[in-house]
Amino acid sequence: MHEMECRVLSIQSHVVRGYVGNKSASFPLQVLGFEVDSINSVQFSNHTGYSHWKGQVLTADELHVLYEGIKLNNVHHYDYVLTGYTRDTSFLEMVVDIIQELKRANPNLVYVCDPVLGDHGSMYVPQNLHPVYKNKVVPVADIITPNQFEVMDLLHKMGPDTVVITSSDLPSRLGDRFLVSLGSQRTSKWRVRMEIPKVDAVFVGTGDLFAAMLLAWTHHYPNDLKTACEKTFSVMHHVIQRTISYAHELAGPGRRPSPPQLELRMVQSKADIEDPAIVMEATVLTL
Amino acid sequence: LEAPCRVLSIQSHVVRGYVGNKSASFPLQVLGFEVDSINSVQFSNHTGYAHWKGQVLTAEELNVLYDGIKLNNVHHYDYVLTGYTRDTSFLETVVDIVQELKRMNPKLVYVCDPVMGDQGSMYVPENILPVYRDKVVAVADILTPNQFEAELLTGRKINTEKDALEVMDLLHQMGPDTVVLTSTDLPSPRGDQFLVALGSQKIDGTKSTQKIRMDMPKVDAVFVGTGDLFAAMLLAWTHLHPNDLKAACEKTISVMHHVIKRTMTYANEMAGQGKRPNPAQLELRMVQSKKDIEDPAIVVERVMDV
Repeated sequence: MHEMECRVLSIQSHVVRGYVGNKSASFPLQVLGFEVDSINSVQFSNHTGYSHWKGQVLTADELHVLYEGIKLNNVHHYDYVLTGYTRDTSFLEMVVDIIQELKRANPNLVYVCDPVLGDHGSMYVPQNLHPVYKNKVVPVADIITPNQFEVMDLLHKMGPDTVVITSSDLPSRLGDRFLVSLGSQRTSKWRVRMEIPKVDAVFVGTGDLFAAMLLAWTHHYPNDLKTACEKTFSVMHHVIQRTISYAHELAGPGRRPSPPQLELRMVQSKADIEDPAIVMEATVLTL
Repeated sequence: LEAPCRVLSIQSHVVRGYVGNKSASFPLQVLGFEVDSINSVQFSNHTGYAHWKGQVLTAEELNVLYDGIKLNNVHHYDYVLTGYTRDTSFLETVVDIVQELKRMNPKLVYVCDPVMGDQGSMYVPENILPVYRDKVVAVADILTPNQFEAELLTGRKINTEKDALEVMDLLHQMGPDTVVLTSTDLPSPRGDQFLVALGSQKIDGTKSTQKIRMDMPKVDAVFVGTGDLFAAMLLAWTHLHPNDLKAACEKTISVMHHVIKRTMTYANEMAGQGKRPNPAQLELRMVQSKKDIEDPAIVVERVMDV
């Protein structure tokens, strides 16, 4: 029986005790039969969520030295590279150089990148790492695993000051009849989250209505993403509710409405468009 | 394993390959042990390759890491495991740590591989010997020297099996209740394709010992990391078979057999007909041997009472 031959280079933290970084990645991959070569970017006693932590970090130069050793032996052939939490820009840049070289050695190499920048509205790596991720790391990544804030941040870095993720599959705190939307405005530092009731129908045109209304309400509330989103999502809600009531009426009991029946009741919603009653509150996520 | 069993392993880390902590951690974790690991060095690969590069941890840095563990009050271990060390102050710091950990848990078992050399020559600085002989062995509970290392520690030459048994008793007197002579030059009753290892364990509550002999097939290759794997597996199997060194060693050398056999097959395949495999090809097939590690099929008639 020929075993799987798959070699991963994982460049992450090492903790003496516990499971983060390489300690979290290596064992499970090995249990699944992957060969894991691991470069420890730091060695700490434990992760930084404990009351105390102590240890040493690897410099970009030391990383290079280790890679040189691998290269000199002509064993720098990997199927995957895996990276995570990094705090140092020159270290991250060295990682990119290494990956580019490894990709030349194996064009089929897959680089799995967790672009760790922050969570729940707070950044826990230095700001100067962001451009390195955007300009150098993400472009060579094949698989990236950002959380919602990292997605927003990466999109901000591409240009726009305001990003609204209109819908997601994130679990809502109000239960599974709700979906989650997220908004972020860089200059005003607003980050908001909305729980939107799901509707059991397929609408067409709602995304277009949304973008138009967001234009309008951010125009009226340029430094208040919370209100702009509340107004926009509320308009959406009123139009959709009116539309779905009408569609069911037309379709009849127990029948699923057809596309013509589901066309948005736009004209009929004028009053709601002019002055939308706020029916959902945006939760502000503090930075 | 019912209760979580926590090991502190202080050994080398290599980016690629299986020596030191890389050789010890995965098998112990596969068997359900919690392994805390302090990497005494980080090298690209072991020093048997044409090239190797990396960084070493100083005694001071070791202290800092241990301090972090202590400040969080999580310095509670069931086992400590150490292997190849080149630096005397590092080794002395290890002894201090072991002594403190034993104060925290008097039942702690320190498994020590006193790596100094083989076949009559030392491959560590000579000044490591007095540290092992005068300080480390005294706090060790399980010791896994080869013949040369046992001779250095006791100052006695081993020419016959009787000599070896006496040397193991001398080592018991110096500290450890369990001693395994991992390889010797003694002739095997099974012929010259086999090498002899011996083990001795004090029997609880008595002054006598259980002594065993292991006959292991010689392999025509130089493996690196097998000693580290041996010590780790001896830790595991003596834990699971306390007071039965024979059973523990049967399991341990069976695991070694399966891993080495798988590795040889693969290495020869990689090297090709008639070519000698290189160090990269001879890296232990650790990950591929997971099932053998979890549940080693006993290779029969290898372990005998003496």
